Amino acid sequence: MSKQPGLVNISLSKTIESVLNTAIRLDEEQGQAFKGLEDKVIKVTLTPVTSPVYFLFTSYMVSVQNQLTGEPDAALECTLFDFMSLPLNRTLPTSLMEGDTDLAMQFIDGLCGLDIDWEEHLSHYTGDLVAFKIGHGIRSFFEQKQTTKNNLGETVKEYLQFEINALPTQSQVKRFVQQVQQTQDEIDQLALRIEALLTKT
Amino acid sequence: MSQNKPTIDFGFAEVPLEEKVKKVKGVFDSVSSNYDIMNDVMSMGVHRLWKRHTIELSGIRPGNVVLDLAGGTGDLTKEFAKRVGKTGRVVLADINESMVRVGRDRLINAGIAGNVEYTITNAEALAFPDNTFDVCTIAFGLRNVTNKDKALEELYRVLKPGGQLMILEFSKVTQPLLAKFYDFYSFNILPKMGKLIANDEDSYQYLAESIRMHPDQETLKQMMLDAGFDKVEYLNMSEGIVALHRGWKY
Ligand SMILES: C[S@@+](CC[C@H](N)C(=O)[O-])C[C@H]1O[C@@H](n2cnc3c(N)ncnc32)[C@H](O)[C@@H]1O
Repeated sequence: MSKQPGLVNISLSKTIESVLNTAIRLDEEQGQAFKGLEDKVIKVTLTPVTSPVYFLFTSYMVSVQNQLTGEPDAALECTLFDFMSLPLNRTLPTSLMEGDTDLAMQFIDGLCGLDIDWEEHLSHYTGDLVAFKIGHGIRSFFEQKQTTKNNLGETVKEYLQFEINALPTQSQVKRFVQQVQQTQDEIDQLALRIEALLTKT
Repeated sequence: MSQNKPTIDFGFAEVPLEEKVKKVKGVFDSVSSNYDIMNDVMSMGVHRLWKRHTIELSGIRPGNVVLDLAGGTGDLTKEFAKRVGKTGRVVLADINESMVRVGRDRLINAGIAGNVEYTITNAEALAFPDNTFDVCTIAFGLRNVTNKDKALEELYRVLKPGGQLMILEFSKVTQPLLAKFYDFYSFNILPKMGKLIANDEDSYQYLAESIRMHPDQETLKQMMLDAGFDKVEYLNMSEGIVALHRGWKY
């Protein structure tokens, strides 16, 4: 219950949420396939990421989050790789399905019917290079039909690290603080000098 | 200051108790139209991440009933409304009419309607029956409330058993270097930016001062326990610039 989602998990849930909502918005059917899921929650465990993501369907489309009070209506488990390869594969192999399996199937069918563009979306976050790398990772996998499952795992890891790296490092912050401190000292000295000058006159 | 009237902090200045409510209202009246831009500038955009974290930890689900107290321009209400769906309900309650008006217009423009109620309420006297809400939040609002203990008791009362209160608030920075920088930022840079963007240096000076007067992590935790909460925990974000306190009613 009180497990804290880290920055990485939040980026993951947020990214999935934006990508799906964009795909639904662009979909001719406007996500009609998810109609039966309204007010339902699907739990998806994307291995090897350990904490699950919850898909909440409402009339406002889909929300994705890391925590849920109470039980989901259905749960399934698949690899992050298979999940992200869905647009090309048009199928989602699952290793586990629990709860209302009809709902889980509707969820998968709905996803399979969407044109999900991870590449386009990730580029907003990370610049084209990383998005291209991920897209390239998926494409080359299918082109070469090699079992390079780790490839995508690696690029996803890279992307997440890239996102975290976009934050300033500790030494950058330290340098900035020092610079601020220096400016502050100079201002203090200046103030003292002005004060001294004023008292002289 | 008058000798026999009780006083309370307003930023660093002491003011008679009843004046604080009026003054706080004044501050938010004058910042409401630029509030969202200022929020982004003030926190360098990080407030979105703090809020997202809060939403994630709420464990919210369709059908839930949520109170977003001191909800202001409705950042949290918007996200909660999407998640609770038509079978749920979110109440945005704030003491300041102009903040609520800006919030309501903004949410309607974003297509959020039908499951949100807007009400002008003082946190110290909530007009809701006992055991009403699955989740209550008060984000960057508690420091402005005059009688915080009363507000916490009220929040406990309106929560359903099993429900969760989430308090997102500026707190005590745990990293000494950052604490220094943060002080400089909030007392020197922030009010100047307030002047540039909102043409209102004083209000932002008040915001900076009120942050410093707010109880630190452990004090607030104890206040929540004293108000009746059965379990309380907190989580520092950005080295304690902000803390998220969570309290459960069993
Ligand atoms: C800094 S804003 C936060 C708004 C919003 N929760 C957010 O995070 O963006 C603080 C809000 O608290 C409200 N407020 C101050 N004192 C209050 C009280 N006693 N009862 C209810 N709301 C209050 C103000 O009107 C203002 O809208």
